[in-house]
This record gives sequence, C-alpha cells and structure tokens, in this order.
Amino acid sequence: MINQMTNPQTDPELHPLASIDQIIHAPARLMVLTYLYVVESVDYVFLMRLTGLTWGNLSTHLTKLEEAGYIVINKEFIGKKPHSTIRLTEEGRAAFKGYKKSLQQVLDDLPE
Amino acid sequence: MAQSISLKDAERKAFITKTNDGLWDIFLGGYFLMFVIVLYLGPVLGDFWGSVMFLPYFALAYLAIWLIRKYVVTPRVGIVKFGRARKARLAKFTVVMVAINTSALILGILAVVSFGKVPGQIYPIILGMILLIGFSLAAYFLDYNRLYIYGLLVGFSPIVGEWLWNQGYASHHGLPITFGISGCIMILVGLVVFIQFLGDNPLPIEDSPAEKA
Repeated sequence: MINQMTNPQTDPELHPLASIDQIIHAPARLMVLTYLYVVESVDYVFLMRLTGLTWGNLSTHLTKLEEAGYIVINKEFIGKKPHSTIRLTEEGRAAFKGYKKSLQQVLDDLPE
Repeated sequence: MAQSISLKDAERKAFITKTNDGLWDIFLGGYFLMFVIVLYLGPVLGDFWGSVMFLPYFALAYLAIWLIRKYVVTPRVGIVKFGRARKARLAKFTVVMVAINTSALILGILAVVSFGKVPGQIYPIILGMILLIGFSLAAYFLDYNRLYIYGLLVGFSPIVGEWLWNQGYASHHGLPITFGISGCIMILVGLVVFIQFLGDNPLPIEDSPAEKA
C-alpha cells in the first residue's frame, strides 16, 4: 500500500506526468476536444471534416469521451435521418483546462 | 496529428471549413455585375426603377445560396454552432458594416449637395476609399482573406474607371469596365473554390456507424 502511494508513476507530487489526463492525452481525442472547446456544438460530419478521422475512428474516440463524461451526444432526427450533435460538458471543459495547465507545467519543468 | 493546438487557430479553421465554399464570392461578383446592368438600365427605366432591379437580384441570390447551402454544402461539411467569441466577432462586424454604410450614405448625400463645388475627381477617390476600407474590415472580421484582394480591386475601380472615362475609353465613368472585370474575377474565383470544395468534401457514407450509434 505504501509502495503504491509513493509510486512516482501514480503520485502527482513526485511525477507531474502522472497528473496528465490519459483520456485527453490521446492525440485524436485531444484534437476532438480542442475543436469542441472553441465551438458550441458540432455534428459528426463536421467533426470528421475538421479532424480528418474516419467515421469508425471518430466514433470510438467519441464513445470514450462520452463515457468519461466529457462530452454529450444528442441524438435526434432531421426529417427521417438520424442526426447527432456533440458538445463539451462543463466537466469536459474543466478537464481540458486542467489538461492544458498540467501539460504546460510538465513542459515548463523540463530542463533546457 | 502533429497539428498546432492553438485554440484561436482551431476556431478559425472551424469557421473557414464552414464558410469557404465560394458562394459569397459568386454573390459579391454578381452584385457588382448587377451594378453594371443597373447603370445601363437607368436611362431606360429611370434611376429609381433601375435601382429597384437590385431587389429581385438579392432575393434570388439569397434563395439560391440558402438552397445550395442546405442541399449541397451542409450534407458535405456538417453542422456547427459557433461559440461566444465568434458570435461576438460577427456582432462587431455587423456594427462596423452599418457604420461604413451609413458613412457611405452620408458622403453620397454630401456629394450630391456639393456637386460642382468640389473637384469631380474627389468622388471616385472617396468611393474607392470606402470600398477598400469596407472590404478590408469585412476580411478582418470574417477571416476571409480574399476580401482584401477584392477590396483592392473594387477600391481602385472608381479611380481607374474615372481615368478611362476622362480618356474617352469608356462610358458611365468607366464603371462598367472596372466593376464588370472585378465582378467577373470574383465569380470566377467563387466557381473555382466551389468546385474545389465539392471535390474535397464528398458526401459522407450514408449508413455510417457514427450515425447509427
């Protein structure tokens, strides 16, 4: 137990990298969250165009972000076609800000 | 993946992805061509009814843009609602455009009132300045860099047109030639951008796993 608590891999006090949010840290999810941070909401097609991700890839990453509570996906119908809009939650916005801060801290602490 | 994560750039990219379809270029080009047509219609229909011809053009152009955006553009690029920063920027743009148009109107009235009292060359210079400033401000607020070039084109149009007219090369203060060429360039650029847009953004696969989810 003591070993676990002082493990530098998990203790942010000892290793700042441990405080980096691993859900956000994946490049594709970081890109998705960056775009969601600057707009109010988007649909799948727009996000696919912006990120260059394939449907399947984007869907997988969005599911992970949704499970983490960082985004909400609203499903509706436009005419007879299903249509989903995605937006960042307050939790996601806070997590993104926290991620930026942590990453900046890690980079600032690196030796020249 | 090795893209910059500058938030400002990301927002700008989102805005350009949504708006860079060439339709506004075609609309603006059409507007300046319409101006040329009205110059010739004026003597036939009278100044008032000649100017009224702008209304059906605006109505048809807006309808065409709305239909193309709905049935061609949006299915290809999707839907986005922009955040507060962009909405504030667009609100500032509206205020600035109202101010520019009001200034143009006041200067136009002053030009009529002071007709014959000031040298004739001053009017094309003022009109050119207003067009250049208006287009440049629109380019800045809309992140639409081509508008700077269009601003130069239409800004110099009244001045070059006046010179052509003075030399006896053109009628109507040379505006049919200068505005006509500017309008044609805008339409041509718009068409090229639109065709590129269609090529770069094919319709997404209908039964995507994402939309089924």
